[in-house]
Amino acid sequence: MSNKLIEVNNLKKSFGGLQAVDVESLVINDSELTSIIGPNGAGKTTFFDLISGFQSADSGKIVYKDKNISKLQPYQIARLGMIRTFQLTKVFDRMTVLENLLFSASSVKNDSLFRSLLSSNEQKNYEKDLNEEANRVMTELNISHMAESYARELSGGQKKLLELARSIIHKPEVLLLDEPLAGVNPKLAEDILNLIQKLSNDGISIIMVEHNIEAVMQISDRVVVLAEGSLIADGSPNEVRNNPEVIEAYLGKNDE
Amino acid sequence: MNRLLSNKNLILTIGLTIFGIVLVVTLNPDGYLRVLLNLLTFAGIYGLSAIGLNVHFGWTGLLNFGHASFMGVGAYVTLLLIPHAAGREGDITTTGLPLFVALIIGIISAALFGLLLGLPAIRLRGDYLAIVTIAAAEIFRLLVRDLENITGGVYGIISYSQNLQQYRPAFVTNLATKFDIAPSQTWVCLIAWISIILVLLLLKRLSNSPWGRALRAVREDEDAVRAMGKNAVWLKLQSFMLGAGIAGLSGVLLAFNYGSLETTVFIPLLTFYVWAIMILGGVSSLVGPIFGSIIFWVIISETDRLAYIFFENANGQQLAGVRFLLVGFLIMILMIFRPSGLLGKKEELLLDVK
Amino acid sequence: MLDQLGNGLLLGTIISVASVALSLLYGVTRIVNFAHGEIIALGAIATLFFSSPVDYRIEFLGFIPPLGLSFAISCILAVLTCGFFGGLLELFLFRPLRKNNVGNIAVLVVTIGLSIFVRHLYLLFATGKVQNFPLELQRRQTYLFFDMTPRNLNVLIAGVIVMLLVGFFLTYTRIGKAMRAVRDSEDLSSVSGINSDNIILMTWVLSSMLAGLAGIFQATINDVRWNMGFLILLLIFAGTVLGGIGTSFGAMVGGFLIGIFVQVSVGLPFMEGHTEAKNAIALAIMIIILLFRPQGIFGQKERIS
Repeated sequence: MSNKLIEVNNLKKSFGGLQAVDVESLVINDSELTSIIGPNGAGKTTFFDLISGFQSADSGKIVYKDKNISKLQPYQIARLGMIRTFQLTKVFDRMTVLENLLFSASSVKNDSLFRSLLSSNEQKNYEKDLNEEANRVMTELNISHMAESYARELSGGQKKLLELARSIIHKPEVLLLDEPLAGVNPKLAEDILNLIQKLSNDGISIIMVEHNIEAVMQISDRVVVLAEGSLIADGSPNEVRNNPEVIEAYLGKNDE
Repeated sequence: MNRLLSNKNLILTIGLTIFGIVLVVTLNPDGYLRVLLNLLTFAGIYGLSAIGLNVHFGWTGLLNFGHASFMGVGAYVTLLLIPHAAGREGDITTTGLPLFVALIIGIISAALFGLLLGLPAIRLRGDYLAIVTIAAAEIFRLLVRDLENITGGVYGIISYSQNLQQYRPAFVTNLATKFDIAPSQTWVCLIAWISIILVLLLLKRLSNSPWGRALRAVREDEDAVRAMGKNAVWLKLQSFMLGAGIAGLSGVLLAFNYGSLETTVFIPLLTFYVWAIMILGGVSSLVGPIFGSIIFWVIISETDRLAYIFFENANGQQLAGVRFLLVGFLIMILMIFRPSGLLGKKEELLLDVK
Repeated sequence: MLDQLGNGLLLGTIISVASVALSLLYGVTRIVNFAHGEIIALGAIATLFFSSPVDYRIEFLGFIPPLGLSFAISCILAVLTCGFFGGLLELFLFRPLRKNNVGNIAVLVVTIGLSIFVRHLYLLFATGKVQNFPLELQRRQTYLFFDMTPRNLNVLIAGVIVMLLVGFFLTYTRIGKAMRAVRDSEDLSSVSGINSDNIILMTWVLSSMLAGLAGIFQATINDVRWNMGFLILLLIFAGTVLGGIGTSFGAMVGGFLIGIFVQVSVGLPFMEGHTEAKNAIALAIMIIILLFRPQGIFGQKERIS
């Protein structure tokens, strides 16, 4: 039995009259690749925002590694090892790919104003290490050739790769991927999918929101289905695939 | 290509600056040295202030329209800690700290004021931050005016110049006497420009450092910064404090240039001057504020004579009005047609509400 | 404290009308118009120009004879002038900026530059002297629990009527509803056939006329100064923020409350001898609101940060 990594209890969030998220209980296990699927507007991204601290819930509790993170700021949650990507890919436009990665890899201590003022040898050596790390990750993701390009010059797919690279250079414990395959050409999607699989095999716990059902079924250990903010299914890919409620949630509204 | 363009801009700017100075000399055949000294002194002081504002707006995208209050905090704190006279009766305080120590405390106070203002305000969206900073500066001005016991109120602070002038080296005095210009102002001018050089060196180092890089990332996308475990708000606060401290230094220099200080100095119009200079010089360019400042003061001082031509019957207040007319016009025109100013880069502009 | 209530109500009227004008403009155009104060001043200065001989003029304006129109006519003309000015601003400045996708911050700085420019035009042409409308002095009288001059009472009543009219206009007329539609969503409203350019123009005109009216009120109660708009601008911001940004009703209420707070605070014990600082109270309130309840009393939770 895997360890409980994240435990969500009675999580509720509404906007105006709309109940965006209403999850009674959900447990994410350690070292698993969990996918969250559901029709549009099901509240998946809001759910991500709530877990990662970018939005605060109306009520409920989120526990991560036995610590209550419900009231923490996003940067605090990230420091605990939970890194996320965004539905609308976020890269630092007017910085080069290399700088994007150097910034991400640099520790908070290194970034301090005083250290930068003093600019010691220690910092210079650290910078060298950062460069090595960045190069390693760029090679792994096949983006080394773009190191000196400004991030805003990248194509949509390349930006997704950069965002991924930025997220893993940090050696996260949990990776929250918000639609990592959206709008990406099939070949690149395959590469990204392989990368995600590899990361999962390396022991990183992954929670993925995706619309590409095929990909989801292919690599997930577990699938969770959200519809209109609530959990309607939770199990192995096969269990979920054959669940009549799930089928109805996706297709039911279009039934003639 | 970018390199080429920026070199071209730099050459044009330097050319324009030189042209401006030559213009001043030509238009003031008698005593042009005095006029030039005055111009360079103000240009230096305001340039330094604009450099501080650039850290706020150019580096971090913060709309600070209360900049004059940071200058004011620096000035008042420093002056009150050294021997001076203040208030209606001119109460004399003979004891005080050495100037240098008082100055350091003044700069730190300005930075702390930045922290105080920034803590609540920095989370606010662009236009709201603008309103809050104006409001805070106004509160500062009113407080200074009302706390007459401490700050001298509307009667202000006087008799402090000696604290600075006592350190004036002989060569400065000799040089000034030789050219028939004020030795005290020459000294202030020199210090102002030395300060600029030191501050620019500091900022250049910071710009290329991990901290500078982090700040740039915050400017690009705060949420992504947070997702990386970095505290975007604290980074913004630090830059706010840095810019405020620089402004504080410029405020002290302004006070020493005037020789007396009271509540009509650190007012919103001062902030607008500094904004105009920053935009003119080029937002987020390190040296932009310097050239912007010189050219700005050339324009301002020479249009005074234009005012005399057009408005013969106008009084002093109205002449000053022409000056501000120009400042307002300049700000508008720049923002509309050339928001990158002289040395700014178009790609670096942050003109959308965050 | 209560003897300041009358003054508070009057100040509240001025700020209220001006806040509604500002809020209306912001709601529809999303522009924080720092030049708003100058339009307010224009109302007063134009009224002065129309109704009395302007003695001290710049030489080359000497050919305009004193107009000496009746006060009522002057007021109407002044309000129309302001509306005209606002329309010009939209047509020749802000519309081109909008069409060129100039960012909000740039526009904000432009309005600041504009306000400096216009304000000092006033200084040059209307002089730095404090001037008054050509109306005879009146004595204060007591009404209910406050006292003020009869004329000022009329101002108060006029202000309330205007507010009611504006409220009615926004809620029940077609144009008013269109304005609110554009405010809520420019895209949606254009899809439903509303020409947002025209609505924006009308908003500028309406907002400017209201601002001009506020200026006339202010000059009637106090006096005409070249920088009267700037002096009151921050209080208007405070009123708008307090009431709730983007809601006209909120601006009305917020404006009144700020006016009352400011004047009444003069009577507070610690304000003894520091009457100038009364404005600081309003500003402090505004800052506190922005920190803890940025949507004000009636506003919606908009993205403030």
